[in-house]
Amino acid sequence: MSKQPLKIMLIDDENIVGKRLKPALEKTGDIVETFEEGEKALARFDETPFDIVVTDIRMENIDGIEILEQVLAKSGRTKVIIITGYATVEIAREALSKGAFDFIAKPFKPADLRGIIERASKELRSGFLHTT
Amino acid sequence: MNILKKLKQIRHKEPGIREFCIQTIRFKKFLENARALLDLFEDGREKALGEYIFDRHYVVTLIDSVIERLGMMVYDGCVLVPESGEKLYTTYDTHKRTARNLIDFSGIVKKAVSPGDVTPETSKTVDQEYQLLSEALQWFNGKDAPLDSTVMAFMKQIFLKVIQGHGSSEVIKNRSLFENSCGKIPDMGIYLIDLWKDQLALPEGNSSINDFNSIPLNHLLMDAGGKDLKAHPNPDWIAAVGEYQLSLNSLRADFQFHLVTLATGDADADFIFIFADDAAILDTLLPPGFHTENTGYGQFAWNLGISEKTIEDSLMIIGRNLFN
Repeated sequence: MSKQPLKIMLIDDENIVGKRLKPALEKTGDIVETFEEGEKALARFDETPFDIVVTDIRMENIDGIEILEQVLAKSGRTKVIIITGYATVEIAREALSKGAFDFIAKPFKPADLRGIIERASKELRSGFLHTT
Repeated sequence: MNILKKLKQIRHKEPGIREFCIQTIRFKKFLENARALLDLFEDGREKALGEYIFDRHYVVTLIDSVIERLGMMVYDGCVLVPESGEKLYTTYDTHKRTARNLIDFSGIVKKAVSPGDVTPETSKTVDQEYQLLSEALQWFNGKDAPLDSTVMAFMKQIFLKVIQGHGSSEVIKNRSLFENSCGKIPDMGIYLIDLWKDQLALPEGNSSINDFNSIPLNHLLMDAGGKDLKAHPNPDWIAAVGEYQLSLNSLRADFQFHLVTLATGDADADFIFIFADDAAILDTLLPPGFHTENTGYGQFAWNLGISEKTIEDSLMIIGRNLFN
Protein backbone atom coordinates (compact mmCIF):
# COMPACT_ATOMS: atom_id res chain seq x y z
CA MET A 1 0.00 0.00 0.00
CA SER A 2 1.50 3.34 -1.02
CA LYS A 3 1.66 6.12 1.52
CA GLN A 4 -0.60 9.12 1.13
CA PRO A 5 1.45 12.22 0.26
CA LEU A 6 1.87 14.62 3.14
CA LYS A 7 0.56 18.17 2.86
CA ILE A 8 3.36 20.41 4.04
CA MET A 9 3.09 24.15 4.64
CA LEU A 10 6.38 26.03 4.60
CA ILE A 11 6.53 29.57 6.06
CA ASP A 12 9.64 31.75 5.95
CA ASP A 13 9.89 35.43 5.17
CA GLU A 14 13.25 34.83 3.48
CA ASN A 15 12.29 33.95 -0.07
CA ILE A 16 15.33 31.74 -0.61
CA VAL A 17 14.27 29.23 2.05
CA GLY A 18 10.99 28.32 0.36
CA LYS A 19 12.57 28.51 -3.06
CA ARG A 20 15.28 26.00 -2.18
CA LEU A 21 13.32 23.77 0.20
CA LYS A 22 10.18 23.25 -1.87
CA PRO A 23 11.79 21.22 -4.67
CA ALA A 24 13.87 19.29 -2.16
CA LEU A 25 10.82 18.25 -0.13
CA GLU A 26 8.68 17.53 -3.17
CA LYS A 27 11.15 14.89 -4.37
CA THR A 28 9.49 12.31 -2.13
CA GLY A 29 6.05 13.04 -3.58
CA ASP A 30 4.73 15.26 -0.80
CA ILE A 31 2.69 18.38 -1.54
CA VAL A 32 4.44 21.56 -0.46
CA GLU A 33 3.03 25.09 -0.36
CA THR A 34 5.31 27.98 0.54
CA PHE A 35 4.43 31.32 2.17
CA GLU A 36 6.48 34.38 3.05
CA GLU A 37 3.81 35.96 5.25
CA GLY A 38 2.25 34.35 8.31
CA GLU A 39 -1.16 35.97 7.74
CA LYS A 40 -1.51 34.47 4.27
CA ALA A 41 -0.34 31.10 5.55
CA LEU A 42 -2.93 31.08 8.34
CA ALA A 43 -5.66 32.13 5.92
CA ARG A 44 -4.69 29.24 3.67
CA PHE A 45 -4.71 26.89 6.66
CA ASP A 46 -8.33 27.92 7.31
CA GLU A 47 -9.19 26.83 3.78
CA THR A 48 -7.43 23.48 4.00
CA PRO A 49 -5.56 21.88 6.88
CA PHE A 50 -1.98 20.67 6.50
CA ASP A 51 -0.32 17.63 8.04
CA ILE A 52 2.90 19.44 8.73
CA VAL A 53 3.73 23.12 9.13
CA VAL A 54 7.38 24.16 8.92
CA THR A 55 7.78 27.76 10.05
CA ASP A 56 10.62 30.17 10.69
CA ILE A 57 10.55 31.53 14.18
CA ARG A 58 11.51 35.15 13.50
CA MET A 59 9.25 36.93 11.05
CA GLU A 60 7.64 40.32 10.87
CA ASN A 61 4.00 40.76 11.92
CA ILE A 62 3.34 37.16 12.98
CA ASP A 63 6.25 35.19 14.41
CA GLY A 64 6.72 31.43 14.50
CA ILE A 65 5.43 31.05 18.05
CA GLU A 66 2.13 32.70 17.12
CA ILE A 67 1.88 30.52 14.01
CA LEU A 68 2.45 27.50 16.24
CA GLU A 69 -0.26 28.52 18.70
CA GLN A 70 -2.80 29.33 16.02
CA VAL A 71 -2.14 26.19 13.98
CA LEU A 72 -2.44 23.92 17.02
CA ALA A 73 -5.64 25.72 18.04
CA LYS A 74 -7.08 25.06 14.57
CA SER A 75 -5.79 21.49 14.19
CA GLY A 76 -4.38 19.55 17.13
CA ARG A 77 -3.09 16.75 14.89
CA THR A 78 -0.86 18.99 12.76
CA LYS A 79 2.85 18.70 13.49
CA VAL A 80 4.64 22.05 13.66
CA ILE A 81 8.38 22.15 13.03
CA ILE A 82 10.21 25.34 13.93
CA ILE A 83 13.14 26.73 11.93
CA THR A 84 15.42 28.77 14.13
CA GLY A 85 18.18 31.13 13.23
CA TYR A 86 21.45 31.81 14.93
CA ALA A 87 21.11 32.39 18.69
CA THR A 88 17.41 31.64 18.87
CA VAL A 89 17.70 28.19 20.42
CA GLU A 90 16.17 29.46 23.68
CA ILE A 91 13.06 30.54 21.78
CA ALA A 92 13.01 27.15 20.08
CA ARG A 93 12.89 25.50 23.49
CA GLU A 94 9.94 27.73 24.34
CA ALA A 95 8.29 26.52 21.13
CA LEU A 96 8.80 22.90 22.16
CA SER A 97 7.16 23.60 25.51
CA LYS A 98 4.20 25.05 23.61
CA GLY A 99 3.70 21.92 21.53
CA ALA A 100 6.10 22.20 18.57
CA PHE A 101 7.09 18.78 17.26
CA ASP A 102 10.78 19.67 16.84
CA PHE A 103 13.07 22.43 15.69
CA ILE A 104 15.95 22.77 13.27
CA ALA A 105 18.59 25.49 13.20
CA LYS A 106 19.60 27.35 10.06
CA PRO A 107 21.77 26.67 8.14
CA PHE A 108 20.65 23.07 7.64
CA LYS A 109 20.57 20.42 4.94
CA PRO A 110 17.18 19.53 3.44
CA ALA A 111 17.91 15.89 4.36
CA ASP A 112 18.03 16.90 8.05
CA LEU A 113 14.59 18.47 7.80
CA ARG A 114 13.39 15.46 5.83
CA GLY A 115 14.43 13.26 8.79
CA ILE A 116 12.26 15.31 11.16
CA ILE A 117 9.36 15.26 8.72
CA GLU A 118 9.59 11.47 8.48
CA ARG A 119 9.40 11.17 12.26
CA ALA A 120 6.42 13.51 12.30
CA SER A 121 4.84 11.48 9.53
CA LYS A 122 5.20 8.26 11.55
CA GLU A 123 3.49 9.90 14.52
CA LEU A 124 0.71 11.18 12.29
CA ARG A 125 0.11 7.72 10.85
CA SER A 126 0.24 6.03 14.25
CA GLY A 127 -2.21 8.66 15.59
CA PHE A 128 -4.45 7.97 12.62
CA LEU A 129 -4.41 4.22 13.34
CA HIS A 130 -5.20 4.82 17.01
CA THR A 131 -8.19 6.97 16.24
CA THR A 132 -9.74 4.69 13.62
CA MET B 1 37.14 32.01 32.59
CA ASN B 2 38.16 35.06 30.57
CA ILE B 3 41.76 35.97 29.94
CA LEU B 4 41.78 38.91 32.37
CA LYS B 5 40.68 36.70 35.25
CA LYS B 6 43.26 34.13 34.19
CA LEU B 7 46.03 36.69 34.03
CA LYS B 8 45.25 37.75 37.58
CA GLN B 9 45.94 34.16 38.60
CA ILE B 10 49.57 34.25 37.53
CA ARG B 11 51.39 33.99 40.80
CA HIS B 12 54.91 34.72 39.63
CA LYS B 13 56.28 37.72 41.48
CA GLU B 14 59.39 38.36 39.36
CA PRO B 15 58.38 41.04 36.80
CA GLY B 16 60.36 39.51 33.90
CA ILE B 17 58.89 36.05 34.41
CA ARG B 18 55.44 37.54 34.86
CA GLU B 19 55.83 39.45 31.59
CA PHE B 20 57.00 36.27 29.87
CA CYS B 21 53.93 34.37 31.12
CA ILE B 22 51.56 37.15 30.02
CA GLN B 23 53.10 37.17 26.53
CA THR B 24 52.86 33.39 26.33
CA ILE B 25 49.19 33.38 27.32
CA ARG B 26 48.40 36.25 24.96
CA PHE B 27 50.12 34.49 22.07
CA LYS B 28 48.04 31.37 22.67
CA LYS B 29 44.92 33.56 22.65
CA PHE B 30 46.15 35.10 19.39
CA LEU B 31 46.46 31.62 17.85
CA GLU B 32 43.00 30.64 19.09
CA ASN B 33 41.50 33.71 17.44
CA ALA B 34 43.32 32.92 14.18
CA ARG B 35 42.00 29.38 14.37
CA ALA B 36 38.45 30.63 14.95
CA LEU B 37 38.78 32.74 11.80
CA LEU B 38 39.91 29.73 9.74
CA ASP B 39 36.92 27.80 11.11
CA LEU B 40 34.59 30.62 10.02
CA PHE B 41 36.10 30.58 6.50
CA GLU B 42 35.57 26.82 6.35
CA ASP B 43 32.00 27.13 7.58
CA GLY B 44 31.23 29.63 4.81
CA ARG B 45 32.90 27.46 2.15
CA GLU B 46 30.89 24.43 3.28
CA LYS B 47 27.61 26.36 3.06
CA ALA B 48 28.50 27.72 -0.39
CA LEU B 49 28.67 24.22 -1.86
CA GLY B 50 24.90 24.34 -2.26
CA GLU B 51 23.73 21.56 0.04
CA TYR B 52 22.57 23.86 2.81
CA ILE B 53 19.52 26.00 3.30
CA PHE B 54 20.56 29.36 4.69
CA ASP B 55 19.34 32.91 4.60
CA ARG B 56 20.84 36.37 4.46
CA HIS B 57 20.96 36.49 8.25
CA TYR B 58 23.45 33.60 8.25
CA VAL B 59 25.81 35.37 5.84
CA VAL B 60 25.57 38.69 7.70
CA THR B 61 26.29 36.91 10.98
CA LEU B 62 29.26 35.14 9.36
CA ILE B 63 30.69 38.45 8.11
CA ASP B 64 30.12 40.11 11.50
CA SER B 65 31.78 37.17 13.25
CA VAL B 66 34.83 37.43 10.99
CA ILE B 67 35.15 41.14 11.74
CA GLU B 68 34.75 40.53 15.47
CA ARG B 69 37.39 37.78 15.54
CA LEU B 70 39.72 39.76 13.33
CA GLY B 71 39.40 42.62 15.81
CA MET B 72 40.36 40.27 18.64
CA MET B 73 43.37 39.10 16.66
CA VAL B 74 44.42 42.68 15.96
CA TYR B 75 44.06 43.49 19.64
CA ASP B 76 46.23 40.50 20.59
CA GLY B 77 48.76 41.57 17.97
CA CYS B 78 48.87 45.07 19.42
CA VAL B 79 49.41 43.74 22.94
CA LEU B 80 52.27 41.54 21.72
CA VAL B 81 53.81 44.14 19.39
CA PRO B 82 52.55 47.55 20.55
CA GLU B 83 54.60 49.47 17.98
CA SER B 84 52.52 47.86 15.19
CA GLY B 85 49.23 49.02 16.67
CA GLU B 86 48.53 52.04 14.51
CA LYS B 87 49.20 50.27 11.21
CA LEU B 88 47.22 47.19 12.20
CA TYR B 89 44.20 49.19 13.29
CA THR B 90 44.29 51.28 10.10
CA THR B 91 44.13 48.10 8.00
CA TYR B 92 41.49 46.67 10.31
CA ASP B 93 39.31 49.75 9.76
CA THR B 94 39.59 49.17 6.00
CA HIS B 95 38.35 45.60 6.47
CA LYS B 96 35.47 46.82 8.63
CA ARG B 97 34.43 49.15 5.81
CA THR B 98 34.70 46.31 3.29
CA ALA B 99 32.45 44.18 5.48
CA ARG B 100 29.90 46.96 5.85
CA ASN B 101 29.88 47.59 2.09
CA LEU B 102 29.34 43.90 1.43
CA ILE B 103 26.38 43.77 3.79
CA ASP B 104 24.86 47.04 2.63
CA PHE B 105 25.37 46.81 -1.11
CA SER B 106 25.67 43.18 -2.17
CA GLY B 107 22.60 42.28 -4.22
CA ILE B 108 21.56 45.94 -4.43
CA VAL B 109 24.39 47.16 -6.60
CA LYS B 110 24.38 44.09 -8.82
CA LYS B 111 27.58 43.00 -10.42
CA ALA B 112 27.57 41.56 -13.92
CA VAL B 113 27.00 37.89 -13.41
CA SER B 114 29.72 35.77 -14.89
CA PRO B 115 28.79 32.51 -16.66
CA GLY B 116 30.22 30.55 -13.75
CA ASP B 117 27.71 32.14 -11.38
CA VAL B 118 24.68 30.92 -13.26
CA THR B 119 23.05 27.90 -11.68
CA PRO B 120 20.72 25.54 -13.56
CA GLU B 121 17.71 25.97 -11.30
CA THR B 122 17.73 29.76 -11.45
CA SER B 123 18.93 29.79 -15.09
CA LYS B 124 19.58 33.57 -15.03
CA THR B 125 21.31 34.71 -11.86
CA VAL B 126 22.42 33.41 -8.50
CA ASP B 127 20.32 34.11 -5.42
CA GLN B 128 21.28 37.24 -3.54
CA GLU B 129 22.22 35.24 -0.44
CA TYR B 130 24.59 33.05 -2.46
CA GLN B 131 25.97 36.12 -4.20
CA LEU B 132 26.66 37.75 -0.83
CA LEU B 133 28.29 34.57 0.50
CA SER B 134 30.38 34.25 -2.65
CA GLU B 135 31.61 37.84 -2.30
CA ALA B 136 32.27 37.33 1.41
CA LEU B 137 34.36 34.23 0.66
CA GLN B 138 36.36 36.20 -1.90
CA TRP B 139 37.03 38.80 0.75
CA PHE B 140 37.95 36.15 3.35
CA ASN B 141 40.43 34.22 1.28
CA GLY B 142 39.59 34.43 -2.43
CA LYS B 143 42.17 33.45 -5.00
CA ASP B 144 40.76 36.03 -7.43
CA ALA B 145 40.74 38.87 -4.90
CA PRO B 146 43.26 41.69 -5.35
CA LEU B 147 46.58 41.04 -3.65
CA ASP B 148 46.62 41.90 0.07
CA SER B 149 42.91 42.74 0.11
CA THR B 150 41.77 39.55 1.80
CA VAL B 151 41.31 38.85 5.48
CA MET B 152 43.76 35.96 5.11
CA ALA B 153 46.42 38.27 3.71
CA PHE B 154 45.89 40.59 6.67
CA MET B 155 46.10 37.65 9.08
CA LYS B 156 49.46 36.70 7.58
CA GLN B 157 50.61 40.29 7.94
CA ILE B 158 49.66 40.28 11.64
CA PHE B 159 51.33 36.92 12.12
CA LEU B 160 54.57 38.18 10.65
CA LYS B 161 54.56 41.27 12.82
CA VAL B 162 53.87 39.23 15.93
CA ILE B 163 56.50 36.61 15.12
CA GLN B 164 59.10 39.25 14.28
CA GLY B 165 58.26 41.07 17.52
CA HIS B 166 58.42 37.78 19.40
CA GLY B 167 61.85 37.02 17.93
CA SER B 168 63.25 40.33 19.03
CA SER B 169 61.54 40.32 22.42
CA GLU B 170 64.03 40.96 25.19
CA VAL B 171 61.99 38.88 27.60
CA ILE B 172 62.06 35.74 25.43
CA LYS B 173 65.83 35.83 24.87
CA ASN B 174 66.77 36.80 28.43
CA ARG B 175 68.79 33.79 29.56
CA SER B 176 69.80 35.26 32.89
CA LEU B 177 66.15 35.84 33.77
CA PHE B 178 65.39 32.15 33.35
CA GLU B 179 68.67 31.03 34.87
CA ASN B 180 67.90 32.96 38.04
CA SER B 181 64.40 31.62 38.17
CA CYS B 182 64.91 28.01 37.08
CA GLY B 183 68.45 27.09 38.11
CA LYS B 184 71.64 27.00 36.09
CA ILE B 185 71.59 23.47 34.67
CA PRO B 186 68.11 22.33 33.69
CA ASP B 187 67.18 18.90 32.32
CA MET B 188 67.52 18.56 28.53
CA GLY B 189 68.72 22.13 28.30
CA ILE B 190 65.16 23.37 28.75
CA TYR B 191 64.36 26.02 31.32
CA LEU B 192 60.85 25.40 32.58
CA ILE B 193 58.34 27.97 33.75
CA ASP B 194 55.10 26.85 35.30
CA LEU B 195 52.67 29.28 33.62
CA TRP B 196 50.28 29.58 36.51
CA LYS B 197 52.59 28.53 39.30
CA ASP B 198 49.79 26.68 40.99
CA GLN B 199 49.25 22.93 41.10
CA LEU B 200 52.41 22.33 39.08
CA ALA B 201 54.56 24.43 41.37
CA LEU B 202 57.74 22.76 42.45
CA PRO B 203 59.70 23.03 45.66
CA GLU B 204 62.51 25.58 45.48
CA GLY B 205 65.58 24.28 43.68
CA ASN B 206 63.86 21.32 42.06
CA SER B 207 63.46 21.65 38.30
CA SER B 208 63.23 18.10 36.97
CA ILE B 209 61.09 17.89 33.85
CA ASN B 210 59.56 14.66 35.15
CA ASP B 211 58.06 16.52 38.09
CA PHE B 212 55.95 18.75 35.84
CA ASN B 213 52.48 17.44 35.24
CA SER B 214 52.16 18.77 31.70
CA ILE B 215 50.58 16.47 29.14
CA PRO B 216 52.06 18.07 25.98
CA LEU B 217 55.51 18.37 27.57
CA ASN B 218 55.43 14.70 28.49
CA HIS B 219 54.42 13.80 24.92
CA LEU B 220 57.20 15.97 23.48
CA LEU B 221 59.88 14.33 25.58
CA MET B 222 58.48 10.79 25.58
CA ASP B 223 60.87 9.63 22.89
CA ALA B 224 63.58 12.15 23.53
CA GLY B 225 65.14 10.98 26.74
CA GLY B 226 62.10 9.72 28.63
CA LYS B 227 62.91 9.03 32.26
CA ASP B 228 66.65 9.26 31.68
CA LEU B 229 66.72 13.01 31.34
CA LYS B 230 70.11 14.52 31.70
CA ALA B 231 71.07 17.93 32.93
CA HIS B 232 72.36 20.02 30.07
CA PRO B 233 75.14 22.54 30.63
CA ASN B 234 74.14 24.80 27.72
CA PRO B 235 70.41 25.44 27.88
CA ASP B 236 68.97 26.46 24.53
CA TRP B 237 65.27 26.36 25.32
CA ILE B 238 62.65 27.99 27.47
CA ALA B 239 59.32 26.21 27.90
CA ALA B 240 56.23 27.65 29.55
CA VAL B 241 53.92 24.87 30.62
CA GLY B 242 50.48 24.27 32.01
CA GLU B 243 48.72 20.97 32.47
CA TYR B 244 47.41 21.01 28.88
CA GLN B 245 49.56 23.73 27.34
CA LEU B 246 53.13 24.00 26.17
CA SER B 247 54.98 26.93 24.66
CA LEU B 248 58.56 26.10 23.65
CA ASN B 249 60.98 28.80 22.48
CA SER B 250 64.56 28.76 21.33
CA LEU B 251 66.93 30.92 23.36
CA ARG B 252 69.60 30.98 20.69
CA ALA B 253 70.19 34.33 19.05
CA ASP B 254 70.80 32.70 15.66
CA PHE B 255 67.73 30.45 15.64
CA GLN B 256 64.13 31.47 16.13
CA PHE B 257 61.85 28.58 16.92
CA HIS B 258 58.45 28.73 18.54
CA LEU B 259 56.12 25.84 19.26
CA VAL B 260 52.71 26.26 20.90
CA THR B 261 50.38 23.40 21.57
CA LEU B 262 47.21 22.67 23.44
CA ALA B 263 46.47 19.03 24.30
CA THR B 264 43.24 18.83 26.26
CA GLY B 265 41.87 15.74 24.52
CA ASP B 266 39.19 17.83 22.80
CA ALA B 267 39.98 17.65 19.08
CA ASP B 268 37.97 20.80 18.38
CA ALA B 269 40.24 22.82 20.64
CA ASP B 270 43.62 21.11 20.36
CA PHE B 271 46.33 22.24 17.98
CA ILE B 272 50.04 22.40 17.30
CA PHE B 273 51.58 25.57 15.90
CA ILE B 274 55.24 25.96 14.98
CA PHE B 275 57.32 28.76 13.57
CA ALA B 276 60.97 28.42 12.55
CA ASP B 277 63.04 31.07 10.83
CA ASP B 278 64.87 28.24 9.07
CA ALA B 279 62.39 26.46 6.80
CA ALA B 280 64.75 23.51 6.37
CA ILE B 281 64.34 22.68 10.05
CA LEU B 282 60.60 22.20 9.72
CA ASP B 283 61.04 20.03 6.63
CA THR B 284 62.89 17.46 8.72
CA LEU B 285 60.97 17.98 11.93
CA LEU B 286 57.32 17.58 11.05
CA PRO B 287 55.22 14.43 10.84
CA PRO B 288 52.64 14.27 8.01
CA GLY B 289 49.38 16.23 8.28
CA PHE B 290 50.72 19.72 8.91
CA HIS B 291 49.73 22.73 6.87
CA THR B 292 52.81 24.81 6.10
CA GLU B 293 53.15 28.39 4.93
CA ASN B 294 56.42 29.87 3.74
CA THR B 295 57.23 33.54 4.17
CA GLY B 296 60.35 35.57 3.51
CA TYR B 297 60.94 35.51 7.25
CA GLY B 298 60.54 31.80 7.93
CA GLN B 299 58.02 29.00 7.88
CA PHE B 300 54.78 28.53 9.78
CA ALA B 301 53.26 25.10 10.31
CA TRP B 302 50.07 24.09 12.03
CA ASN B 303 47.77 21.18 12.56
CA LEU B 304 44.27 21.88 13.85
CA GLY B 305 41.40 19.74 15.02
CA ILE B 306 43.60 16.78 15.85
CA SER B 307 42.72 13.74 17.93
CA GLU B 308 44.36 12.94 21.25
CA LYS B 309 46.33 10.10 19.63
CA THR B 310 47.54 12.24 16.73
CA ILE B 311 48.67 15.05 18.98
CA GLU B 312 50.55 12.57 21.17
CA ASP B 313 52.24 10.93 18.17
CA SER B 314 53.02 14.26 16.51
CA LEU B 315 54.59 15.77 19.62
CA MET B 316 56.60 12.61 20.20
CA ILE B 317 58.02 12.74 16.66
CA ILE B 318 58.73 16.47 16.87
CA GLY B 319 60.45 16.02 20.25
CA ARG B 320 62.55 13.14 18.96
CA ASN B 321 63.62 15.07 15.85
CA LEU B 322 64.27 18.21 17.85
CA PHE B 323 66.25 16.85 20.77
CA ASN B 324 67.93 13.64 19.57
